Amino acid sequence: MATVTSEQERGALTHPDVQSFSQVNRDILKVLSRPGRGWWALFLAATAGMVVFFGAWGYLVARGMGVAGLNNPVGWGALITTFVFWVGIAHSGTLISAILFLFRAPWRQSIYRAAEAMTVFAVMTAGLFPLIHLGRVWHGYWLIPYPNERFLWPNFRSPLLWDVFAVTTYFTVSAVFFYLGTIPDVAAARDQAKGLRRKLYELVSLGWRGTDREWHHFGKAYVFLAAFATPLVLSVHSVVSWDFAMSIVPGWHATIFAPYFVAGAIFSGVAMVITLAVPMRKLFKLEAYLTVRHFDAMAKLLILTSLIVLYAYLTEFFMAWYSGEEVERSSFWNRVFGPYWWATWTMLVCNGLVPVLLWFRRVRRSIPALFVISIFINIGMWFERFVIIVTSLSHEYIPFAFGMYRPTWVEMAIVLGSFGWFFFWFLIFTRVLPPVAIAELKEVLPAPFRRGAEKEAAA
Amino acid sequence: MSEGIRRRDFLKVVGAGGAGATVLGCSTQKIERLLPYVVADEEITPGVATWYTSVCGECPAGCGVLVRTREGRVVKVEGNPQHPISKGALCPRGYASVQGLYDPDRLRTPLLKEGGGFRPLSWDEAETLLAQKMAEGGRTLFLTGRLGPSMEALVEALASSVQGQRVEYESLSEAPLREATRLAFGVDDLPTYHLDQARLIYSFGADFLETWLSPVAYHRAFARMAGVDDHASKGRLVWLAPRLSLTGQNADEWVPLKPGSEAAVALAMAHVIARARGNAGPYQAVLDAYPPARAESLAGVPAAVVESLAERFLEEGPSLALGPGVAGHHRHATGANLAVHVLNWVAGNVGRTLSLGQKDQAAPSRPFRDLQEALAAMPGVGVVVVMGTNPAYSLPPSAGFRQAFASAGFRVAFATGLDETSALCDLILPDRHFLEAWGDSAPRPGVFALQQPAMQPVPLFDSKQAGDVLLSVALRLGKDLGGVTFYDFLRRRWQGVAAEAGHGGPFEDFWREALRKGVVEIETRPTQESPGLRPPEASVSFEPPDLEGAGEFALLVYPSPRFGDGRQANRPWLQELPDPVSKMTWHSWVELNPRAGERLGLRNGDMVVLRSSYGQVEVPVWLYPGIREDVVALAMGGGHEEFGRFAKGKGVNPMVLLPTVLDEVSGTLSKVVVRVSLEPTGVRRLLATTEGSADQRGRPIAPAVSLAALTGGGDKGHGKGHHPDLRELQGKGGFVPVPTEGRPEDFPLEGSRYGEYDPEEKPRWAMVLDLDRCTGCSACVTACQSENNVPWVGEEQVMRGREMHWIRMERYYEAVDASHPGPVDIRFLPMLCQHCGNAPCEPVCPVYAAYHTPEGLNAQVYNRCVGTRYCANNCPYKVRVFNWFTFTDVPEPMNWAYNPDVTVRSSGVMEKCSFCVHRIREAQNRARLEGRRPLQDGEVVTACQQSCPAEAIVFGNIRDPRSRVSQLARNGRAYRVLDEHINTQPAVIYLKKVTFHEAPEGEH
Repeated sequence: MATVTSEQERGALTHPDVQSFSQVNRDILKVLSRPGRGWWALFLAATAGMVVFFGAWGYLVARGMGVAGLNNPVGWGALITTFVFWVGIAHSGTLISAILFLFRAPWRQSIYRAAEAMTVFAVMTAGLFPLIHLGRVWHGYWLIPYPNERFLWPNFRSPLLWDVFAVTTYFTVSAVFFYLGTIPDVAAARDQAKGLRRKLYELVSLGWRGTDREWHHFGKAYVFLAAFATPLVLSVHSVVSWDFAMSIVPGWHATIFAPYFVAGAIFSGVAMVITLAVPMRKLFKLEAYLTVRHFDAMAKLLILTSLIVLYAYLTEFFMAWYSGEEVERSSFWNRVFGPYWWATWTMLVCNGLVPVLLWFRRVRRSIPALFVISIFINIGMWFERFVIIVTSLSHEYIPFAFGMYRPTWVEMAIVLGSFGWFFFWFLIFTRVLPPVAIAELKEVLPAPFRRGAEKEAAA
Repeated sequence: MSEGIRRRDFLKVVGAGGAGATVLGCSTQKIERLLPYVVADEEITPGVATWYTSVCGECPAGCGVLVRTREGRVVKVEGNPQHPISKGALCPRGYASVQGLYDPDRLRTPLLKEGGGFRPLSWDEAETLLAQKMAEGGRTLFLTGRLGPSMEALVEALASSVQGQRVEYESLSEAPLREATRLAFGVDDLPTYHLDQARLIYSFGADFLETWLSPVAYHRAFARMAGVDDHASKGRLVWLAPRLSLTGQNADEWVPLKPGSEAAVALAMAHVIARARGNAGPYQAVLDAYPPARAESLAGVPAAVVESLAERFLEEGPSLALGPGVAGHHRHATGANLAVHVLNWVAGNVGRTLSLGQKDQAAPSRPFRDLQEALAAMPGVGVVVVMGTNPAYSLPPSAGFRQAFASAGFRVAFATGLDETSALCDLILPDRHFLEAWGDSAPRPGVFALQQPAMQPVPLFDSKQAGDVLLSVALRLGKDLGGVTFYDFLRRRWQGVAAEAGHGGPFEDFWREALRKGVVEIETRPTQESPGLRPPEASVSFEPPDLEGAGEFALLVYPSPRFGDGRQANRPWLQELPDPVSKMTWHSWVELNPRAGERLGLRNGDMVVLRSSYGQVEVPVWLYPGIREDVVALAMGGGHEEFGRFAKGKGVNPMVLLPTVLDEVSGTLSKVVVRVSLEPTGVRRLLATTEGSADQRGRPIAPAVSLAALTGGGDKGHGKGHHPDLRELQGKGGFVPVPTEGRPEDFPLEGSRYGEYDPEEKPRWAMVLDLDRCTGCSACVTACQSENNVPWVGEEQVMRGREMHWIRMERYYEAVDASHPGPVDIRFLPMLCQHCGNAPCEPVCPVYAAYHTPEGLNAQVYNRCVGTRYCANNCPYKVRVFNWFTFTDVPEPMNWAYNPDVTVRSSGVMEKCSFCVHRIREAQNRARLEGRRPLQDGEVVTACQQSCPAEAIVFGNIRDPRSRVSQLARNGRAYRVLDEHINTQPAVIYLKKVTFHEAPEGEH
């Protein structure tokens, strides 16, 4: 780890309002105490959304895939769009926790826990969508290679199968990484909890006592997992992008897709972290821990990824023109000026134009402004996937088979309801696990109060 | 028993074999003899189809059919290859007849009107009641459609024995043509046209590919004439009418006449020809009155065009002109037909490409005036019996049918289902469907065919054959008409046919042979030599009619290629069959020229009110470049008020816009009578169309080659560079397509990366579709639907883009201009699974539901499919269709029509063309049973190939260099869609359409 001096400097820089280690424990663990009305309101809303989500899914299974608006040229629509959206969201968590950890970015400690939780829940949400969109979901397990008497084996040439592996691997690794990181904090929570809650925390913390030996192993394991998770950040969305890029659909078949999707995923993921962090900060009074500096840093990450994404858009258009291929040109022309022009322009404005505001320091440091911009980016990134999937499929090789797709209420209920499912877990998380990493935060805080620290150690 | 099987015995065997559902319904008393056609009786086994010959009853053309039955149930109807009319093909209406048989809305018992509703009756009660009513006095009027000869004879016999009268009414009657033939040549009958003998056809609106006279027979003849042959020779069709029907879309040139001006143009051409040849005959004076300049002013066709058309009519012969069909009937319809006859006569076509028969043309040719007179006398009628016609629907309300009909004493209908006319009746007698009933037809001089029941009547419906009922009623009235059952009556009449055929042996042998073969052909007297042209009669006018009303557009009402006059509107297969012209399903539309649409600010789907002084209808607009700017067109067949769940309320009935105006000479109801106004309602609807875009955008999907390029050789013809370079995927370097020396039939090449073909023995199945022959008639679509249990999905689902057809009949406009005479180039492309050698759908399926068989088929394993739809997304041809719901749960007994050889699919799985794999297996199994002989070329026939009246489809093993498929694949016109672009290596090879004009964008 870095020197104490620099740690002190960092802590003073990033968390000027945090006075002591015990304050950290107090502030963060307070979040886990009795929830307030605001939390309950949000939790009820999320539960209601989840009920809508499963209700609509049940209806879809009972009636058939036809209750969605899909048709014969456009076989994938809002559901796959939302799948990619959630997988994208899932990216920044691991990016922030693992990659920034390896790079020793000074601002990750306050936000990485929430970002990681977001990752896990977003993958949980995303993973449901490929199942939802199956015509015969009850046979969904056929995609998994399992031994059977008929020697039926899945097709490993299919990008969908790669997807199954990429997403499940990503989910496993990020869940383990997330869990590992929480162990010291759960132990801290255990120390304050009583009754059943204490028992549970004890179990989950695996009897963590905070010994040097434990810290040593913990540190090793954490670095190892961070290194292990890092390539997954790049691979999982690359694989998701290959669902499209490996096909021959004009508008999908492009070599730029993997980096383009990864950048887009980070872009949307960071935007989602901001969207989540702003209310959380307010609700749980974590202003001292999630400071303007953190938001400023994330906003810079947004600028970078926004530029990559915009570059990818322009490259796609350029390549469509430069290829001289009529089908390709027609597909992209249709994207911008065809019947789905509004979706494309929403995407371009939200992802390319709105983030330009972030070049201004004042905007970057205005939390309400960032919140609004992050919502725009979330919307823009949803539409990006919608544009890629729907406009390409609706306008392929055979003009006579061009078709239009209009989502139905069932799809929209599932899409919006999935936020309920996501927030259901996320809100529970904020109540049962410390939403800010207590132990790691302390690493970056200056340690001026020896006595206080000793006291804490004694406690 | 060695030569026949008794029907009941057959059914017992079948019942024991497990088809317990075949319940014996009521039946005629006598045990009938039926003979299977293909499979000898000893070999009838459950699981093996039995075929019966019969005659299609969907229109009067009388196509011979083979009825495929499995375990005692009809599962499919196909054309009878031995029958001279159909020669193995059928039209979509014929294929959909199975749905008429299993129509869930068929009448279940005889019904008697009581109070506001109907009360079920027993047959005994019903017949007693009918006999009693007929005995009570008053005249009995039999109002029938076009009947088979024996049935007609029976009705006539009964009518005369009770001092009654028979009146024939068919809304698609060609009475003006018959009258014109009588006036011109003194022959009171319809002429026979020999389209295949001609090299140049001028059709003045005769839609011979759709409904005119005998569409299937003319279809084949036309394809033979218009398809390019081995010597690069090709006949030409010029379409002279205000609107391009499907037939018009197949023309090479279009002269967009003003509605009703056919006679002026035909006479002007005759004028030019007669001037050159000096043989105007008795029509000198008439022709003098119609110089080309006159045609220009009346028809809007430049005089120079008329001159050149006339010159070519002589030079490019043998030529043939066809008179306006039903869609062109106006006040002077006889004059128009007569003018065309005159044109044929002066060009010397009579006796050459047009012959005058002796008797018995199947197409209806009685005028509406017969019915009108009967209606006027209706109050004196005691009993009116309606059979096989639906005037309450097909006549304009202004004809006053309902009022007149109500004034009759007692109204009786023989009907399979409740239609508009039977709903008005007091007594409704459920008739048998033609597939359950006896009958006969004589569609052409010297052609006699028997219609035999192919199955026991569907037991859900307590039906009885109309002929049996009439005979039973006659017996109750104490009349003997020559039989107790219609079967007896028919056999007795056929003894006459046997005598005419000069059959020497026992009648039983003749009868059995007739049933086995399905047709008896008798050498006819040679057709009359060209008879002289009779002098014109003053009553016949050749002038274009004045149209009533002040509206902006002349209204054309044309027979629907799918429903005819509307009698097939209750068949979901036909409702969902994309109209060959508009690609619309389930609902009506009004055709409007895009320039007129632009002027009025109308787009596709805008609802408009069409108003004439007689009525109005509200329909969506469909912009169609193939119609004149001053004309709008509506198809017949929609807007039923009764007629079962599938027809009721679908579309509009254009008849409500028409007055009852007759062609004075023939007495035919005119269709081109009114002008209509078109008022936008401001409402827009989603059209239930299967058309995405009719613009190829220069993509090589349905390319064409000009005849000049084909004959001239050079770089566009057969010669070098014409065939695109083939490429293969090489093992080294991954999936890299590299140029190859190979030919299509060689694929996959040695070392090729892709494909799991058996290198030696297994065939590679392939199909060739000749786009120069394909007319877009869509018979293959319905035949495939019947063969492969392809579901229909309904209007709502088509609007969402979920039609399930395995063949998409694509139609692209290349050159269509209604503003002046010129070339027409509309391309048809039946798009089906291309069974790619390098199929994009296969690698993306995560569960191997899409996989490649060793025989080169792209197979879809329904029970392995989980429904990711990735294969459909990745299919560049978009031929994969997904079961969004379980569309195959159909009302009983429509499910009886399912082919037991093909899986019935349920919700959540992908499906597509299988190249009729069950037929391949059937042929292979048969070959194996016959001692391991190799399959012969042509032994496997796919359903679409079987159905094609244009003989445009060839299927076979492309590995075999002598097979027809591989020979055609070497044709200079051969290409594979998009293969050059995306290297899919399809097994479906198309032959380019051949155009007379140079394609404006070259050959793409």
